[in-house]
Parts: sequence; structure tokens; C-alpha cells
Amino acid sequence: MSSELLFEFVYFIPEIVLAFWGLLVILLDVALLRGRPSETRGKILGMVSLVGAILALVSVFVPDMLSFGSATGAPETSIFFGAIFQGPVVERFSAFIIILLMFVIALSTTWNFTEHWGEYFGLLFWTAVGMIMLIAAEELVTLFLTLELMTISLYIITAFEKDLNRSSEGALKYFVYGSVSSALFLFGLSLLYGLAGTTRLSAIGAVLEPQQSVAGLGRNIAGAMSVLLILVGFGFKISAVPFHQWAPDAYEGAPAPVSAWLATGSKLASMIALTKVLIQALGAWASGDGNLASPGWVGILAVIAALTMTYGNFAALAQKNLKRMLAYSSIAHAGYMLVGVMAVAVAAGSRVAAGPILFYLVVYSVANIGAFAVAAWLFRDKKTDEIEDLNGLFAQYPFLAVCTLLLMLSLIGIPGVAGFWGKFFMFSEALTQGEDKHRLTFLWLVGLGLMNSVISAFYYVRVLRAMFLRPSTGAPLKPPTFAIRVAVIGSALVVIIFGLYPTPLTDETDRLADSRIFDSRLKHTGPAPKVALNGGLQPVASPVGK
Amino acid sequence: MHDIPLTWFLIFASACFVIGLLGVLVRRNAIAVLMAIEIMLNAANINIIAFWRYSVPGPEESPVSGPMLAIFVITIAAAEVAVGIGLILLCYRRRASADVDQYDSLSG
Repeated sequence: MSSELLFEFVYFIPEIVLAFWGLLVILLDVALLRGRPSETRGKILGMVSLVGAILALVSVFVPDMLSFGSATGAPETSIFFGAIFQGPVVERFSAFIIILLMFVIALSTTWNFTEHWGEYFGLLFWTAVGMIMLIAAEELVTLFLTLELMTISLYIITAFEKDLNRSSEGALKYFVYGSVSSALFLFGLSLLYGLAGTTRLSAIGAVLEPQQSVAGLGRNIAGAMSVLLILVGFGFKISAVPFHQWAPDAYEGAPAPVSAWLATGSKLASMIALTKVLIQALGAWASGDGNLASPGWVGILAVIAALTMTYGNFAALAQKNLKRMLAYSSIAHAGYMLVGVMAVAVAAGSRVAAGPILFYLVVYSVANIGAFAVAAWLFRDKKTDEIEDLNGLFAQYPFLAVCTLLLMLSLIGIPGVAGFWGKFFMFSEALTQGEDKHRLTFLWLVGLGLMNSVISAFYYVRVLRAMFLRPSTGAPLKPPTFAIRVAVIGSALVVIIFGLYPTPLTDETDRLADSRIFDSRLKHTGPAPKVALNGGLQPVASPVGK
Repeated sequence: MHDIPLTWFLIFASACFVIGLLGVLVRRNAIAVLMAIEIMLNAANINIIAFWRYSVPGPEESPVSGPMLAIFVITIAAAEVAVGIGLILLCYRRRASADVDQYDSLSG
């Protein structure tokens, strides 16, 4: 092994630490803690896991500390023969995912929902490895592998509350929909591999670029098929309509910390991967002559985005269960974010168009962690997580109720909290990017998005009405654990601070978005960079001797 | 020399894929659904290997990226089956049925 390759492992320390720590907690559980009651094991392993997560968080910044680059962080590179991308955006979002993981670990110790704590924390770690590498993957094999590492581990931890019917049922549905969609996704990948003759995303972009035509994907049946199937695969992961059916069931069935993980880490990583694949590899197939309605993925995305936000919001109106309501709300949020992805696709020349999506993802994830922490609290004390279980929360715990209020306001997008800026920046990006002929489509989509935000207020306000206006019913809530307190108060603080003063975060996300993974090669105004076009699919009459 | 043309492989793979997809949509037994998913994954594998065999990799490319992808897919498929069987068993113990239509307690 050459020393350069060894050196590349420096970037890979967080993944190694997380994967190793997953094994460590399992070994601890079956060796040292054998025979202890499950409550104690859960607490001890939770602590051990937190230590591992903190170590991983520190190790994310090792390349920075060794200061390979300037003060702005390590420069963008590809490691492991172009399989994995490293740059500021990967570094910061790895750190963010690990922070989310720490909250999930801490919330998991709220109540004793399983006996198999070692496996539970181990799988949590491996999902985190999958998410971090999914953001970093720059090649189809790695992309598929990490996507599956993430989802297969998530199938299992969804089923971890074995005493409940709903947990196993949610997991089975998640599994069936998930594995069908990954099979579809893989078929799309296989066609893409055949058409481009390479598995590297940037090389695929380079091969497809000269094929860009006025007709877009018209008459290109294999290409259209491949784009559609890839969109199905990603649509499932981000729970976009019509591939969303698993989401409400899995979110409701899973233990609340796992639902939080599904709603934040999994969606965040998949959303970034979706943007990356569409922009970097499939940019040439975005649309035909620039008209959004011409054959290409931007048109498909427009339909999916409109359906997703509308359906998610209307379905959420009818929900009585808090986690199920949050599931539909997360479907709706996926729809808003897809509008942002479209804006990146049509953004000419600018590389920072992906900034608003990153901002939105951060704000959305933070608010959801807090909201699911409340669900975990409810379930611990009442064994249900209906919205009406929140009745009278303000009378009992005024401060936490006000924090929850802030989280809900952020999810609605009320000015003064961060969710507003998320929607504002993304929709204004959608309206300013692109040429005049795009305006009308974006105007429609943004109008629909704003209308949907108003609708969404109704179901979030039902949570607030239960907390503030209703008298307390049922068993009283016991004082929350430290983890729940930190999650709710911390996320409320983040939401209000960036709501009043969003500039630091927007500057940061804009800086991170200025990365080559969000940069369609077609947008360069200068001379086209010389890329050795590989053979692609050379129609050879007979098999090549290998 | 008359070899089998590439299109034949692609048609075969597409046929397998459609059969798998129909199986997922039509069959109600969870185990049968799992089998249909396997057929779909293998259809993609046939595609990948056929494309690799009938093309010249570029100078920058790994000469074996196709088989690598296929090998990883086989591994992932095995992991998926292991997890899937486990989940189906878990559900079967609770309801004594592997019929996916039975699992409708969550809805709305």
C-alpha cells in the first residue's frame, strides 16, 4: 500500500471510529454486561455510545487540525481511487449527522423499549456510517452500498420495540417498500452504467454532456427509464409522493428516537445524495431546450414536488397520532426541498444555489429532533403518543411547552423562527434562478408551497391547542429526562437564534454549497474542461476478450 | 463468429425485471415478495455484467467496475434477505400469518 493511500485514511477516521464503536458496544453487551438487567445495560451502553460519538465528532476535524489546506478547511479531494469525496460540505455535514446521532442515542435511553441494547446502539452507529458515506459517495458502487447500509440497518432498528405490534408491522412495511425501491433503483443504476460506461458520477456527467440535446430525454428510452428508476429509489428514501406509503407506518411504529433518526439523518443524507446525483451526474438530462416541461428530470421533479407537498399536508390534517402527524409533515417538507433541488438544476453559472437546501435541511432536522423528543417523553409516561396526550402540558411544564411552541412555529415557517428563513431562502432562490421561461413553473410551485404552508399551520396548531388550551387528561407526565430536556430546549434555542439572526448559518451553508458535488458541468461559462471520454457503451458486435 | 448480441441479454434482463415487479405487486405472501425482489436484483446484475462484457472501458476506468458492482449487489441482496426473513418471522410470530394483506393495523 502506498503511503498516499494510507494518508487518505486520515479522512476516513470518523467512519472507522463509528463502525468500530458499533462492534464494541455489542461486545460489551454480551461480555462484560452479561446478566445485568436491561435497564442498567441500556444506561451504561448509552453512555459508552455517547463517548464513541464524541470521539467520532472530534475525528471529523482531524484533517482540518492537520491543516492540509487554508484556514477555510481542507480542500476538496477524492479519496480511495475516486470512490469517496472529501471537502468542507462532507466534513460539516458528517459532524452534523454525528451530533444528531448523539441526540438519538441520548433519547434512546429514555425508556426501556428493548433488551438488546448492544445490537440497538451498534446498528445506530452503522446507520450513521452509511449516512456519512452516502453524503461522500462519488461513485455508483459506493452510493448503492452506503444507501443499503443505511436502510437495511434502519429496517432492523424500526422493529426494535418488539412488544408492540405496530413496531414490527411498520418495519415489515418499511422493508417491503424499501427493498422493492432499491431493486428499482439498482436497475436504473445498471442502465446508467451501461449508457455511460463508468461508475464515477463526475465521469458520467462528462460522458452525458455532449449528448445533451434540445429534445432532452425525448427518444432516449433507456436514459428516461434509468432516470425514472433512480428517482423512484431516491423518492422512496426521502419519502416523496407516490413512494411515501411506508413513512407514516414506519414513523408511527418505530420507537420515537428511531423515528427521529428516520426523519432527520436518513432524510438529510438521502436529500444531499439525490441533489448530488441529479446535478453532478445527470445534469445533462435536466431538461431539453431549457423549457421545464420538455423531457427531463426537472419536469418530473416538479410534478413530484407539487404532489408531495400537497398530499403530505392534507393527509397530516387528519392525524391524531403525534408521530404519524410528524411523518406526514416530513413528507410535506420533502416536497418543499424538491423545489430547491429544481432551482439548483436551472441555476446558471452559480454554484451556491444549493445553499438554501442545506440551510433548510439543518433547520428542519433540528426542529424534528426536538419534536420527536416530545413524542419519546409522551410514550415513556403514557404508553401512547397521541396529540391529545399533550393536553395541559403548558400548565405542568410551561418552559418546555413554550420550547415546543417554537419548534412547531419553525416547522410552519412563521417569521422570527428559523423555519421561516428556510422557506424564504429556498423559495426566493427558486424564483430568482433560471431564465424567464422558467418563471411561470416556479411561480406556480412557490405559490403552491406557500398555500401549503398555510394549510400546514392547521395541524401544527392542533398540537399547540392541546398544550396550551386543553386541561390535562390521563396519567400526568413525569419530569422529563435530561436528554429530552436538552433535545427540546437545545433545538428550540437553535431555532430561535437562527430565526432572529440567520446570517451565520446562511453564510456557512452558502460556503458549503460552493462545492463541485453541487456543480453541474453544464453550467460552466468558460471553455469546457477536457475530459477523456471513455469508451462508454461502444456497440461491439461480439464480446470483448477479457 | 456469431455471438449472442447484447440486446438479447438486455431483453432477458428486462423480462426478468418485469416478472419480479409483477411478482411483488401480485403475490400476497411475504416470502414470495422477497423472492420476487431477488429476481429484480438479479435482473439488474445481468444488465450490469452484459454491459461490461460488451464494452471497452475507458483509459481512466477500472477494467472490472462492472463485476465489482455485481458482486456487491449479490452481497447486499444476501444481507437484505437475511434481514427480511428475520422481520417476516417476527411478524409471523405475532400474527401467525405471512400474508402481507393482514398487516393493516396502521393506516390513515
